[in-house]
Amino acid sequence: MMDQFDERIRRMAREEAFPLPEDYAGRVFATCAALEEKIVKTKTHKTFGRALIGVAAALAVFVAVPNLSAPAAAAMARIPVLGPIVEVITFRRYTHDDGHAHADVSVPEVQGGGSAAASVNADVQQYTDQLIGQFKADCAQLGEAYEGLNVSYRTVTDTEDWFTLRVDALETQASGYQFSKIYNIDKKTDQVVKLDGLFKAGSNWQAVLTDEVKRQMEHPPEGETYFAEDFTGVAADRNYYFDADGNLVLAFDEYEVAPGSMGAVEFTIAKSVYQALLK
Amino acid sequence: MPAMTRDWFSGQVVRCQTALFRTARTILKSDQDAEDAVQEAILSAYASLAALREPEKFKPWILRILTNKCYDVCRKSHPSVALSDVEEVIPASGTDCTERLSLWQAVEQLPPDFRTVITLFYYEDLNIRQIGGVLGLSQAAVKTRLHRGRERLKILLGEEGTNDGSV
Repeated sequence: MMDQFDERIRRMAREEAFPLPEDYAGRVFATCAALEEKIVKTKTHKTFGRALIGVAAALAVFVAVPNLSAPAAAAMARIPVLGPIVEVITFRRYTHDDGHAHADVSVPEVQGGGSAAASVNADVQQYTDQLIGQFKADCAQLGEAYEGLNVSYRTVTDTEDWFTLRVDALETQASGYQFSKIYNIDKKTDQVVKLDGLFKAGSNWQAVLTDEVKRQMEHPPEGETYFAEDFTGVAADRNYYFDADGNLVLAFDEYEVAPGSMGAVEFTIAKSVYQALLK
Repeated sequence: MPAMTRDWFSGQVVRCQTALFRTARTILKSDQDAEDAVQEAILSAYASLAALREPEKFKPWILRILTNKCYDVCRKSHPSVALSDVEEVIPASGTDCTERLSLWQAVEQLPPDFRTVITLFYYEDLNIRQIGGVLGLSQAAVKTRLHRGRERLKILLGEEGTNDGSV
């Protein structure tokens, strides 16, 4: 929706003379004039397909490593010691480097475990396939533009009762964009537990956590600021994990609630704030 | 669909040459750097012209290439630029209205995160989705920057308190 302010700014943008450097137009003209003649036909399915095949064949490398030896697995992943989950390995690694675009995607797989682990694995596969697919599409579309995709993972928690896997992604195009997916498994019940699954039904956990995040937003680190007005509340599926002291940590992607200069931000909720609301 | 010849390409570049310089200047600090980035973007765009699937989207396409060039320059010359290093200047209260900033002067005083989004939205008439494509940002991130950039622009232009609910 356009309002009066927008209309006025657009009018100013149109009407105000913009100060171009004196030699700029001449330089643009000279640059264009020096280009070698060529004719590029509008894309057809054939040329598009060839471009994709070229990208895939020349640049992409898939390394499937589902059957790692124990020492190799140990080198690539942190190996849990307790509970039904045996280990987390790099199931697949995708790398790409053509001098302009770079990708390094490590796709984890939780080995052992029950249906919860299988569910996490399926989601991770789908998620990383989607990221890689988008990266390839961007490469094909943008030619020599600079693109970057890095995906890594780590085991955040692994106790007798609880397991947390974190998958972090960084997309770099004009600027970076950090985002994460965090999976929590209750080993006792073999269930993937979303945030709302931690709390008693009918409890006011959402209001309590939202108020606490808002309180922390009002006291940002010195020199920084949060987009408090863009924070509408803690969602039922908000990324979370427990820190070493048992406090609840709510994780937000870059730009979600803070300027890009702050990166991805997290809010630690003290155990005392939410403990009475747990199931 | 037009055949994408050198003349067709050159015509498109000339048509949006002001947009190219203005956008580069929102990211880079000097006219010289901006001119260099535009020149590099023109050469890269021509080299990868076959990747342009929809000729009518030439402007956002070349702006995307340009912003990548600009950020590449930033990375080479300033490995990390903190937002606080280029913080905007807020005019003191009681600024004389006769000394109000021009729009471009105000835009130049915005933090870089907001400056480019504001320029693409107001000067270049790109929509949220297109800006996200140019800058490699989610639409939510573009909306956030636009919202906050507008609020700061109002202050800089002496329009604090203007009521609106857009974006």
